[in-house]
Amino acid sequence: MLNHQTAQSVIDHGISLGADFAELFVERSQTNTISTLSNQVQSVESGIDFGIGLRLVYGTKVLYGYTNKPEGDELKRILSELAAKDLRDPGVSAFNFDYRQITDLHPAVRTLTNDSEVESKVAYLLAADVAARAASNMISQTRGSCRQKEQHVELFNSEGLHTGDTRNYIRTSLTSIASDGSEQATGSWNDGGLMGWELEHDISAEKTGTEATRQALVNLGAKPCPSGRMPVVIGNGFGGVIFHEACGHLLETTSVAKKASVFHDQMGQMIANTAVSAVDDGTMTKQWGSINIDDEGLDTQRTQLIKDGKLTSFLVDKIGAEQTGFERTGSGRRESYKYAPASRMRNTFIEPGDANLDEMISSIDKGIYASHMGGGSVQPGTGEFNFAVTEGYFVEDGKVKYPVKAATLISTGPAVLKEISMVGNDFSLACGMCGSVSGAVPTSVGQATLKVDDILVGGNA
Amino acid sequence: MTISDQANQVIDLVKAAGASGDLIIDQGESVSLKARDGELEEYKVSSSQIFGLRVIKDGKVGTAHSEAADSDALSSLVEQALTNASFTAIEVHENILANEASLKTDDSVLCPVENVSIDEKVNFALQMESDLAARDRVKNVPYNGVQDNTNQRHIFSSAGLSAYSKSRMCAAYAYALVEQGDKNAMEGIGQASRLFADLNANDIVDRAYTQTIDILDGSPVPSGHYDVIFDEEVQASLFGVFTLMFSGKSAKDGVNPMREKLGESIADTRLNITDKPLSVDGFGYQLFDAEGTATQSTPLIVDGTLNTLIHNSATASFFDMKTTGHAARGPKSTLGVGLHQLEIAAGSSSQADLFSGKYLMLTDLTGMHSGANAISGDFSFGASGFLYEDGQRLQPVRGITVAGNFYDMLNKIALIGDKQFWNWEKSALMPHIRFADMAVSG
Repeated sequence: MLNHQTAQSVIDHGISLGADFAELFVERSQTNTISTLSNQVQSVESGIDFGIGLRLVYGTKVLYGYTNKPEGDELKRILSELAAKDLRDPGVSAFNFDYRQITDLHPAVRTLTNDSEVESKVAYLLAADVAARAASNMISQTRGSCRQKEQHVELFNSEGLHTGDTRNYIRTSLTSIASDGSEQATGSWNDGGLMGWELEHDISAEKTGTEATRQALVNLGAKPCPSGRMPVVIGNGFGGVIFHEACGHLLETTSVAKKASVFHDQMGQMIANTAVSAVDDGTMTKQWGSINIDDEGLDTQRTQLIKDGKLTSFLVDKIGAEQTGFERTGSGRRESYKYAPASRMRNTFIEPGDANLDEMISSIDKGIYASHMGGGSVQPGTGEFNFAVTEGYFVEDGKVKYPVKAATLISTGPAVLKEISMVGNDFSLACGMCGSVSGAVPTSVGQATLKVDDILVGGNA
Repeated sequence: MTISDQANQVIDLVKAAGASGDLIIDQGESVSLKARDGELEEYKVSSSQIFGLRVIKDGKVGTAHSEAADSDALSSLVEQALTNASFTAIEVHENILANEASLKTDDSVLCPVENVSIDEKVNFALQMESDLAARDRVKNVPYNGVQDNTNQRHIFSSAGLSAYSKSRMCAAYAYALVEQGDKNAMEGIGQASRLFADLNANDIVDRAYTQTIDILDGSPVPSGHYDVIFDEEVQASLFGVFTLMFSGKSAKDGVNPMREKLGESIADTRLNITDKPLSVDGFGYQLFDAEGTATQSTPLIVDGTLNTLIHNSATASFFDMKTTGHAARGPKSTLGVGLHQLEIAAGSSSQADLFSGKYLMLTDLTGMHSGANAISGDFSFGASGFLYEDGQRLQPVRGITVAGNFYDMLNKIALIGDKQFWNWEKSALMPHIRFADMAVSG
């Protein structure tokens, strides 16, 4: 996407300004988004994003700029402007680019370059709408979407690296809105992966529609949720957002290096219950949060974050490695060329245990079974986090009693990790978008169903 | 090619295809600085532009965008939009407005010229970070920054519309991480201004430090029902979460719970909410909407009664009325609606009355993107703030949740203060409102 000679001259220019490190991140992304409303196509949107991100590093200081213009003179002008306050004696470039061909662990078949396949995707979304309505006559509306993206990235840096990757993302979702005349409630279902529209073979319009409707109906009949501190059983799949918020963000060197994480000085120490082992794995085939190489050109890897309760690794990008001394973990990620890379999660999950749901429920006198979770957020400096229950049930005397309305669970990372006492064996992963300093990146969260002995439930009863 | 040349190329191709259309061109330039341990940690400069085209052919609407702006890319943009239109259902209500207006914002007001060097901005960032870090018990200042952003928008249409706006926003913010023993807290504050010279680092440092130290010893209050007042930052965000209630598009789509309640009382009779896009004190100022319709002040709730929903020309046509000038569209999105700048009218309660008796003043809500359902109105957020009695602070409060239904809350207003406040981003102007009987878990 960028001429080899142009890249070389721009990198040379960066080094001539005295920078310790210079990098070009070239991106061209193609997107296609289809939206349906009930049984009609509401919109089809497509486009091309193109730009180049330029990074100079002086020590641990990062200078970053970006532009849509790929001309060498424009790129050098930006570098000169960035470095104006940091000029040092010129460095000498002593490298030649040697293109490193990566191994694509996630080859896609039905890509946007081949065909956007709008008719096929529309057929899927409309079939999901039919299934959603067939499941109940209380569904007043459905909203569907299918978004596909093909991202080409190319990296050049002053260490001689020249490599590139193509990432194909696809995600489908359907929301059902149930109404009983006076109240409305929603339920949704989504699928996705690091692949093309061959995802179609792995998903079911029938399941998508009926699950979205089932959840909407549960929420329509839900009672206000009790509040206060109590045990909570958190469902598998997207329930893993608890670890993502409670711990994952606190292990990114983006926070660790600034000492803005409560875990910054806890390496090798017990930070969780011995029932907890956790992993961030960028290598899982065709998983939503996987990558071949990170956005600094390093092969990604499987990183054991916690083993039997002990902190074993942070998530480390290039700058984080220089600031903390820990080895890079192939975790430097960014939403697009508009962001400098930062250490970020990929597919992050608590490893399965051997408990089962019945054991967990029967161990509770009064508590909540949160079978489906929504998003959340965390303040890394204090570890205070929150996340939302989108489908929950009141549990009393060891039995599930009735559905409860949306509630937020809050705690701190260090506290909740020690309260996870049982981990089940029904492991699964779910797709999400994670927002942080380097933008919104695809991440998976996951876990088996698990039990937290004590957490604050924010109900409205 | 100039912007006009590029726009003409696109619009001519649209017309030649027998379609109508409008083209949004957004351009931006920004400088962003962050400091750490007395040194500059990040220096980011950017310039960007993006073209977003909407076409209508045979009653079908298609959109496409491109960040590349060469002649081939612009031709491809038109082809993509036309192709996308071919897949959509006929939408009789969406048309390109017969609007030949030529509109332009006043640069001297929205984008004033200022002679300020990069060194001054760097020094501001360094001073703000180091002054805050030097305060007692401050461990560090993990989040801080100084920004200078200038954005331009052009809209051209096949009907002859030419609209242009340009605005500048300078902003600075800082968050302090404070530690004492095994306790810690992090809070912060920002400032926004059209002129860099109007930013005040000392004020940011003082306020960020005070907020963080004050909350450090916070603890939960017992679960129960409390009167709650949200500070100006939190209250603006809370109303922002539930703006779907005013959306004509959501009403057209059947998901706005207020769609059948026009002319009905939906809130306490003392509540008056107006969208005021032409108030230049705020950063929500808009001379025209995304269809080029001139904006105006729009009363939304008058004495507790829902006066109107907000509309673009398509949603207005669906309901057989005129657009209210609330079309919203980004280069990558389809036509929607959006509020510009919310204002809640001051009430009649003095500050002494407002702050009498026992109440919680909430200064932070967490999980606002995930803990709320704008369709049902239900919400549950993490919260922190202070417990007061008769204006005296009894204790800082942390580790609680506040839950309820926003649409019910509008009828549980105890008092509305007689002074209005901007939030720091200057997107909303509101008085303090005291809500009665809110469910709090501690």
